[in-house]
Amino acid sequence: MDRAFQRTQILTNHLLQSSPSSPAQIPSLSSNACLNYSPPELSEGYAFDIKEMRQLLDGHHVADRDWLFGVMVQSKLFNPRVRGGKVFVSPDYNQSMEQQREMTWKRIVYLLERGVFKGWLTEKGEEAEMRRFAYFEVLGLFDHSIAIKLGVHYFLWGGAIQFFGTKHHHDKWLRDTENYLIKGCFAMTELGHGSNVRGIETVTTYDSNTGEFVINTSCESAQKYWIGGAANHATHTIVFSQLNINGTNQGVHAFIAQIRDAVGNVCPNIRIADCGHKIGLNGVDNGRIWFDNVRVPRENLLNSVADVSADGKYLSSIKDPDQRFAAFLAPLTAGRVNIAVSAVYQSKVGLAIAIRYALTRRAFSVKPNEPEVLLLDYPSHQRRLVPLLAKTYAMSFAANYLKMLYVKRTPQSNKTIHVFSSSFKAIFTWNNMQILQECREACGGQGLKTENRVGHLKGEHDVQSTFEGDNNILMQQVSKALFAEYVAAQKKNRAFQGLGLEHMNKPCPVIPSQLTSATLRCSQFQMDALCLRERDLLKRFVVDVSQHQAKGESKEHAFIMSYQLAEDLSRAFSDRAIFQKFVEAEATLAAGPLKDVLGMLRSLYALIYIEDVAFFRYGYLSVDNAAAVRREITKVCSELRPHALALVSSFGIPDAFLSPIAFNWIDANSWSSVQH
Amino acid sequence: MISCLLELFLAYEEDPNVKLVILKGKGRAFCAGGDVAAVVRDIRGDDWRAGANFFLKEFTLNYLMATYSKPQVSILNGIVMGGGAGASVHGRFRVATENSVFAMPETALGLFPDVGASYFLSRLPGFFGEYVGLTGSRLDGAEMLACGLATHFVPSTKLAMLEAALCIVDSSDPVIISSIIDQYCEQPSLKEQSVYNRLDVIDRSFSQKTVEEIISALEREVVHKMDVWISTTIQTLKKASPTSLKISLRSIREGRLQGVGQCLVREYRMVCHVMRGEVSKDFLEGCRAILLDKDKNPKWEPSKLEIVTDSRVDRYFSKMNTEEWEDLKLPTRSKHNLPVYAIAKL
Repeated sequence: MDRAFQRTQILTNHLLQSSPSSPAQIPSLSSNACLNYSPPELSEGYAFDIKEMRQLLDGHHVADRDWLFGVMVQSKLFNPRVRGGKVFVSPDYNQSMEQQREMTWKRIVYLLERGVFKGWLTEKGEEAEMRRFAYFEVLGLFDHSIAIKLGVHYFLWGGAIQFFGTKHHHDKWLRDTENYLIKGCFAMTELGHGSNVRGIETVTTYDSNTGEFVINTSCESAQKYWIGGAANHATHTIVFSQLNINGTNQGVHAFIAQIRDAVGNVCPNIRIADCGHKIGLNGVDNGRIWFDNVRVPRENLLNSVADVSADGKYLSSIKDPDQRFAAFLAPLTAGRVNIAVSAVYQSKVGLAIAIRYALTRRAFSVKPNEPEVLLLDYPSHQRRLVPLLAKTYAMSFAANYLKMLYVKRTPQSNKTIHVFSSSFKAIFTWNNMQILQECREACGGQGLKTENRVGHLKGEHDVQSTFEGDNNILMQQVSKALFAEYVAAQKKNRAFQGLGLEHMNKPCPVIPSQLTSATLRCSQFQMDALCLRERDLLKRFVVDVSQHQAKGESKEHAFIMSYQLAEDLSRAFSDRAIFQKFVEAEATLAAGPLKDVLGMLRSLYALIYIEDVAFFRYGYLSVDNAAAVRREITKVCSELRPHALALVSSFGIPDAFLSPIAFNWIDANSWSSVQH
Repeated sequence: MISCLLELFLAYEEDPNVKLVILKGKGRAFCAGGDVAAVVRDIRGDDWRAGANFFLKEFTLNYLMATYSKPQVSILNGIVMGGGAGASVHGRFRVATENSVFAMPETALGLFPDVGASYFLSRLPGFFGEYVGLTGSRLDGAEMLACGLATHFVPSTKLAMLEAALCIVDSSDPVIISSIIDQYCEQPSLKEQSVYNRLDVIDRSFSQKTVEEIISALEREVVHKMDVWISTTIQTLKKASPTSLKISLRSIREGRLQGVGQCLVREYRMVCHVMRGEVSKDFLEGCRAILLDKDKNPKWEPSKLEIVTDSRVDRYFSKMNTEEWEDLKLPTRSKHNLPVYAIAKL
């Protein structure tokens, strides 16, 4: 009865709107305070000079980069939109494939008019090459499609003319290429052959009567595939083909062929089809090309390494076909360097977005009636994102080293460049996909919106792990190179030299049985651990291969069978090499907060690799040691937490190139923004 | 006046009875800018720090206005130049009239567009900001509205009514205030000769990387056909202080990618170097020629763009290595409930 009476009272109060007789019995409704967006800048400080850190990370041409950012941000062609009071630039990925391709081309024309590509093929020297890298990195931050389209035209087509061609090719083609009077593409890959360039099936013969090469797609598997620029725009292409001279196959060579006339009609004896819609990069018109006995003049052979005389004799200064092929392909390393570096910058975008979001988004209270906890205040969230920051910083320093190695290249440094570019391209692009996935997850549902960028970047950059050399193949190359170094050192009884292998000349490092915090933070211990793994795996790999060979197998077959050790070894080499660059960068700094923070990141980088399963599998760490490493990682992550904003601000990526969830994501989604 | 305004703005922010702030001038100007002559006197008296102190207060006021938690409505019925722009453009609403004359004339004086101009000029459409900042060009009310320096245009005859309507507003909601101003608004048309109709040339030239290349691009435009406006623009640039032009260009370019606070911190460094005159004394010479002796014939030193090296320019952007000098410390804004448009500027 009491209950019924109580309910009648409540209802009466509602109807009469009178205040309750006993406030304690009837709690009043109160509205929850609305979530407010508080920018991280207001609560997080900068313990070090972020301009100085940015200079360290970008390494070069900071002002030029900012100029190019400005050129893009101020143009309507780059699709500026206002969200939450800020301007963002990013392509409209909701447009059709055709529209996206059209927009990519329009943007290129605009940038060309602004002089961005001036000197890209006609200016020589280290400074010009580094500036080109810088512009490329900036363009990639806007959109991968525009970077690829430009890369195909300038670095692949243009680079082929530069490095495979000789003076008359340079004189005829470079200026027109730089000014986009012709549009180039690069027809190497075929439906049946990608990584194995030497197996391509396009065949070219020579007609000494007319002084022409005849290029032919001999079967369907020989069609050129994935040729960027070919589906819609390209007028000319480099064609890679087997060269048959007088019945002898002289191997793969490169030729210039025109595929479209000046008004855009496909040339006779050329057939082009579209590769179709892709999971990303729909701003690039990838095409398929068939050559039906296409005739090109003799001078269209890119003849820096080999030539054919007018009467049809094959001539080459390099007698060994393997060496000839290697010399031929060596210049294509620029592409690998570009891709490796670009992957690092995409990771920076993902992390800047995810970490800024995690500094403003809250979820769950620890105690009732308390405010919810900021995502990045959870140790588990820190563990997910902060190590990725350490990896990105490490890759940044290694990327700068790789660029310098490339622009200062000499014939003697060719092999070193090949090994490092293969290793870093594979590691950076794999890391990037892992980082983007984690960042997407860390942004929850918001990570699924295309305009929030972080999720969309995955599809756009997925290709990086398989083009310009499949990552697995590249890593095999690394392990083979290390094998060769080891065998050579043993045979000639000389010290290890080059590729950072000098540590092999010293006594084997020893991991202390007790790992204190101080030891774990010490760069010498970290280097010792990574060197120990590399050294031991190299020995094991050599032993394993030798055992296979002892059974009568060929070296090639032995390599195939020892693939697991090869994989572990190439990763060990890469981790150690990248770590070395981190240590070297840290050493250039004077004592102070910048160096301290960088030191913490460096330790974190080392520790997450020491926590890697390889250290267990091969017995370098005891179970107790591994537990100590694990604990230390959590500790370093929490020490780096206060520096998270400063660390991502140091990437120097302008706000307009991030996305709405990195800023006022509440207002970006407000009803008033829907109405406008 | 800066000290007074700073005090008032700080007080109004805490006063719950104040919903919005209206700023207007008296006579033929909203505000013609800082008392440059006074600053010059300080420098001549070996006291560059007094001048720097003025800028410290002024930039603090600019920051406060840019991040203010209540809307500011500036009635720009007349001249609004230099410091006058700093006291109005950062506010939420800027009402231009047919009497408005806007300019950032600093490069002719050996200074550079300060007061957070590297923030707001860089955000004008295309490369209009570089044009306005480097040439010191004057804009009328219609042009101010077109490029976004003004948010509204109200004929001067309606200003009294507008003010009356705003005075009885009991809200800080910018949407409400905007709709009130809308009621008195008109859509002015640009003059046929308006510089805003020449955006294609402006974008082509003023997007160039260096001042030299900007001038070359403009010269290329008139190689085959005459164009009085382009030729005048070239002359104006050639008469400005070469050092000023270079530091102004770099300031605007950097400001484009920075928040308003970072812009002001950077501009404070720059203005201190200008005051101290250890890299160039163009500021003294510019004020002498234009404001004091009025011979309009300043002798710039360095006299040519080519002599102004990158390392000279760099010095303006670095910290002062004199004792007791500190970077500009801006007030923390975290205690206040900042509106969306203020948060977006950080």
